[in-house]
Amino acid sequence: MAESENSKWAGTTFGTSWMHCVLIKMLRWVDVRVLYAFVAVFVVPVTLIVSPGARVIYHYFRRIWHQSVLHAAWSTYRNHYVFSQVIIDRFAIWAGKKYNIITEGHEIYQKLASQSDGFVQMSAHVGNYEVAGYHFKAGKTLNALVYAGEKATVMTNRDKMFAEMNIRMIATSNDMSHVFALDNALTSGEIVSMPADRMFGSAKCVIKEFLGKEAKFPLGPFNIATMRGYSVIAINVFKTKWNAFKIYVTELPYDKDASRREQVAQLSEAYVRELEKRVKQYPYQWFNFFEFWEDR
Amino acid sequence: MATAELINEVKEHIIDVLHLEDITPADIENDAPLFGDGLGLDSIDALELIVMLEKQYGIRIANPADGKDVFKSVTSIAEFVASHKA
Repeated sequence: MAESENSKWAGTTFGTSWMHCVLIKMLRWVDVRVLYAFVAVFVVPVTLIVSPGARVIYHYFRRIWHQSVLHAAWSTYRNHYVFSQVIIDRFAIWAGKKYNIITEGHEIYQKLASQSDGFVQMSAHVGNYEVAGYHFKAGKTLNALVYAGEKATVMTNRDKMFAEMNIRMIATSNDMSHVFALDNALTSGEIVSMPADRMFGSAKCVIKEFLGKEAKFPLGPFNIATMRGYSVIAINVFKTKWNAFKIYVTELPYDKDASRREQVAQLSEAYVRELEKRVKQYPYQWFNFFEFWEDR
Repeated sequence: MATAELINEVKEHIIDVLHLEDITPADIENDAPLFGDGLGLDSIDALELIVMLEKQYGIRIANPADGKDVFKSVTSIAEFVASHKA
């Protein structure tokens, strides 16, 4: 199987398992803002120096947002700071902390969740998508496609949280068993959740104009969704305050009577336009730490 | 046991659903791996083969763990189809 270039980035949560355990225990007693302040002063500056992702994000602000050198450097700091907050929030939720969550388009989700057919929800590596998993109660199983290389603590804590919420994680696998598991879930009327902004596994892609430049998006999620004409929604979650998130649910329309190729073209276009709209709203919450665009 | 006729039919379906325009059934070896080294198919092609099995033969692969063995080669697909026809 051809390895996509983007898969060079590991995409796992930073830190060892014991660090994650300590963080969760600490967050049961400590206000998240204390940790935000700590990472702002001691962690983010170091990360900017040692992490290759910092240079990538700097390019993102320079080339996509056409910022000056100083502005892009400051924006890179902000991006890494928000990313650190989002990671802390994830552990805080596992530690039992509560956040204020506003949903735009909740009725779209409710309508699909109440039907007997399966449907697909597409996410992206922006904001904090995991919050949606904890927030929505569909009444049917949600199958989330996840990267197989995540660390044990992260997977265990997700398992603990998700087990009570009718959420099953399907890890990507070299033997392609995840493809069959996703298909079975959809034909059983369940929900399948997949990120549709990052190439992994198959090198097949659709190339789209995204924020002014051409970028590759994985063909797989669009192929799965159009395989049997499933309804598709995009769900993007962004941090709006230290203790608040906003969830955007948007239906992604496509002509289910068109040819497969045309369906994939329409659906991928709808996904990319929705993602573009949200990234324009929240440019600092873009968390793809690899060179996303073709012309780097 | 899959017949030569069924094996050829499976090859034609594979060429059709995957749009392998420059390939004929004779170009595909019966026992050559479909994924990786052989035809070079990947997980996205596997999806199309899942739908092909369902549309053409009314068969679903119920257990995800069986998928890799079923899609190992044209012969394995044809034998899977034959076993469900029997």
